Amino acid sequence: MESKKTGSVVVIGGGISGMLSALDLANSGFYVYLVEKGPSIGGVMAQLDKTFPTNDCAM
Amino acid sequence: MLTLSEVQNITGEKGNFQVEILKKPRYVREDRCIACGACTEKCPGKFDDGYNADLKTRTAIYVEYPQAVPLKYAINPAACLKLTKDKCGTCQEVCPADAIDYTMTEETVTIDAGSIILAPGFKPFDPSRFDNYQYAKFANVVTSMEFERMLSATGPTMGHVTTFPKVPANPKKKKDKLLAEKRKDPKKIAWFQCVGSRDVNKCDNAYCSSVCCMYAVKEAIIAKEHAGSDLDCAIFFMDMRTPGKEFEKYYQDAKTRHGINFIRSRVHSVVEDPETGDLHLQYADEMGQIVRDTYDMIVLSVGLEISKETRAFAEKFNIDLTESGFAKTGSFEPVTTSRDGIYVSGVFNNPKDIPESVLDASAAASAAGDALAEARNTLTKEIPAVPETNVIGDRPSIGVFICDCGSNIAGVVDCPDVTEYAATLPYVTVAEETTYACSQDAQDKMVEIIKGKRTQPHCGGGLHPEDP
Amino acid sequence: MVAACTPKTHEPLFQETLKSAGLNKYLFEMTNIRNHNSWVHKNNPDIATEKAKDLVRMAVAKAGLAQPLKEEKIQVNASVMVVGGGLAGLTAARSLASQGYETHIIEKKDTLGGEALKLWKTAQGEDVQQHLSTLIKEIYASDKIVVHTNTTLEGVDGFVGNFISKLNTNGKTTELEHGIAVLATGAKALETTEYGLGKDERIISTLDLDKMFMENDARLDAVQSAVFIQCVGSREPERPYCSRVCCTHSVENAVALKEKNPDMDVFILYRDIRTYGERELLYKKAREKGVIFIRYDVTEKPKVKVEKDHVAVTITDHVLNQPVTIQADLVTLATALVPRKDERLANFFKVPLNDEGFFVEKHAKLGPAEFSTDGVFVAGSGHYPKPVNEAITQGRAAASRALTLLAKKDSLFTSGTIASVDVEKCSACGVCVSICPYNAPAFMTEGRFEGKADVNPVLCKGCGLCVASCRSGAIHLRGFDTNQIFSQIFALGETA
Repeated sequence: MESKKTGSVVVIGGGISGMLSALDLANSGFYVYLVEKGPSIGGVMAQLDKTFPTNDCAM
Repeated sequence: MLTLSEVQNITGEKGNFQVEILKKPRYVREDRCIACGACTEKCPGKFDDGYNADLKTRTAIYVEYPQAVPLKYAINPAACLKLTKDKCGTCQEVCPADAIDYTMTEETVTIDAGSIILAPGFKPFDPSRFDNYQYAKFANVVTSMEFERMLSATGPTMGHVTTFPKVPANPKKKKDKLLAEKRKDPKKIAWFQCVGSRDVNKCDNAYCSSVCCMYAVKEAIIAKEHAGSDLDCAIFFMDMRTPGKEFEKYYQDAKTRHGINFIRSRVHSVVEDPETGDLHLQYADEMGQIVRDTYDMIVLSVGLEISKETRAFAEKFNIDLTESGFAKTGSFEPVTTSRDGIYVSGVFNNPKDIPESVLDASAAASAAGDALAEARNTLTKEIPAVPETNVIGDRPSIGVFICDCGSNIAGVVDCPDVTEYAATLPYVTVAEETTYACSQDAQDKMVEIIKGKRTQPHCGGGLHPEDP
Repeated sequence: MVAACTPKTHEPLFQETLKSAGLNKYLFEMTNIRNHNSWVHKNNPDIATEKAKDLVRMAVAKAGLAQPLKEEKIQVNASVMVVGGGLAGLTAARSLASQGYETHIIEKKDTLGGEALKLWKTAQGEDVQQHLSTLIKEIYASDKIVVHTNTTLEGVDGFVGNFISKLNTNGKTTELEHGIAVLATGAKALETTEYGLGKDERIISTLDLDKMFMENDARLDAVQSAVFIQCVGSREPERPYCSRVCCTHSVENAVALKEKNPDMDVFILYRDIRTYGERELLYKKAREKGVIFIRYDVTEKPKVKVEKDHVAVTITDHVLNQPVTIQADLVTLATALVPRKDERLANFFKVPLNDEGFFVEKHAKLGPAEFSTDGVFVAGSGHYPKPVNEAITQGRAAASRALTLLAKKDSLFTSGTIASVDVEKCSACGVCVSICPYNAPAFMTEGRFEGKADVNPVLCKGCGLCVASCRSGAIHLRGFDTNQIFSQIFALGETA
């Protein structure tokens, strides 16, 4: 059965938002390409020590 | 996951895009690198460590931080002596996995996709051009990002709050040595809000960055945790913006329980004491009285900006932007851009905090997925489940992992001591300490250890989970 | 065994790691040496280290008695019930329907739209009613969505993938089977008499003003002096939260008044102006148009007095430091947003409400649109006050999260840490059957052990009530069995 639409999504940006979009889509049945310009994913959130309002570690 | 990659071109339309991606060379083979770090030990190339807000330098061959995903090293070609001058080449010699490959080149791949989500994020505002706060000249005027790295256990000062943070820990230059002598534990720190936001006088950012009020309060609370509760923290603000869930309580707690001072005033300028590096400032309080005070450090709560590269990208691909540079979306389709089939989430879609970025992410996934509803499950595969090893009847073999949790735990508890103790407990066959047990590299290690302990000694190197 | 932070955050992660290494995920023990130790004993590192050793010793003792546990597979009914027909609920329904899932919207009023029916414009100036009616048309046009207006929820049985809800439509009861639930019950404006609201037709609420704009009320033409009072009922001991939308809403309405009549005196009396993000540009516009902003402290609130031909609003001006009285023709109160505080609904789905009455999500950062209770999601102002675009974002987010569950129809599993009955010891007293809040234990009706209790592994949540109540000691809580708990207690008694 040929589908006219491609069942994959390109997510540009590997920060918290990009990563979670990718996970939701992959867990729903779409193939995801996560494109990140740096050598690793994580974005700005990986640079934070703690996050408000719970003061949980960002990592 | 395509790292060191950037989108060059997007053609096609909703449901059938062709995305051309440029993959920059890592110069390290991902299928071979074991992230042992031997390459960094002798690397002579240096460049500013952007992950640590340029507070220190790092070697040309590097991994961003120890918990990075993928945990594979990369070479910065601009800082590498081999790649720029054809000298050195040490990392290739010492690499035990033969993973270094200087001949790697860029590669272009074209991918077919039904939807695209833009989540390029932001860059913190650079206050160097503000001459009134003298961020570029005064050593103890820092940005909130620099302060955040200073608070971090994996940061340049390992969580220790100190003045002159940009001076290296072991200074070699005379100028640095003189400054290092003046270093002390600060007793008074001030945060200046709205630096690079709500400002059309000194910059063009009329918008509010949404997160800075909250993060300044957070940094003040955490700074007091690290430095002691008698650290005097003051936040200079125009409006305290804590409109999120549980945020107002956080703010009130900061006032009453943590003793953080909130001063409604915008400081005009800062003067440095040439002897000590202390910062004198003067401001008008709410009654109009001029107050003069001295602080050991000033943290500029910089706003969130959309980078020039992101703006250029948006323009190239016909994504309409607001005047502030954020993606233009409608209230009733809040994650949809002006280009059909391209969705947006995170700070690029208006400044927002982490919980909202997470909601945006799921919303963008919903929009991107709804557009392709009929194509769902056409390109995905099922991961086969790992068969479970039957351990019933076996003598228990317990692996203990003590997590430092950065400095959250290790800052108080003597983790090496606890790990040593754990090894003496009944049935414990492995006791290890780890910085962040939740990170991918620690997880991989656990899997290896579990599999290793399951194989019989005479099976050799192969890992066969089906073996009893 | 991992000694680290709270299992609430990462226990599932570590369990997945064990699975990927071929080990049953219940052969895992986690002890919290952060929240329970390093965070609370910051000033006593030596004692904290000793306590960490105690906690590790206890956890290792229990780990030594760990048993692999089995999880039951759950079939998922691929349909959704959305409680609440407002913006967030409608958005979630539309998204799930487009993915092919039958969705039922339960709305207690006789029309869809919720509080949005009372809104004039969004922060970006869009006409709410126009967009809302388009959305409602789409909902009714969808063949996958069934709308139940005039319907309330009377009861819920079951669990993720297998809910059975009792609906009451105009007195008639029906049952609805569904796999997923989305709670989008929203919030409404505070009803108060503060500042004289309700006593005079010149003292109104924000929604009253929106209505006047929408109806092109002639009274607005006669207004020469308008005053907005912010934070009415918010950010106070009784409601220590910020209602988030009011600053933007008042600023927008103030600009509209000025655009209607540039000579009108418009004042906004505020504590902090919270026009976050690009809403800040509205605040700038308001100041440019001549709206006057006067700040007040919560200890010195404005005083409102009804006079014959105007309403006198007195406030201490923050610049002059003198009391100033404004003779207003219209006083608009930015009243707080108050959640439904529907404990009955919360109990149906076993989801928590916080002190203020808002739904408590699974995780502030990693699970803002879902509940800890599997299969139940949240969106809209019932979670926390939010404007149109954020309610729609969360509606979509809840749909996306629900989709990840629906998409896995064949691989949903129960927990392994559940109660199980040792039939040899069971005296068939029935205490467990009557005490369980989830209706998991029941008497066996056939077979060799007819009459003895049996726990349905799919319904059991592992709370332990039956275990503690069983007078015969016949019920075991797998993963937290008596010998395991005692091993921890004895281990504590030993010294490091």
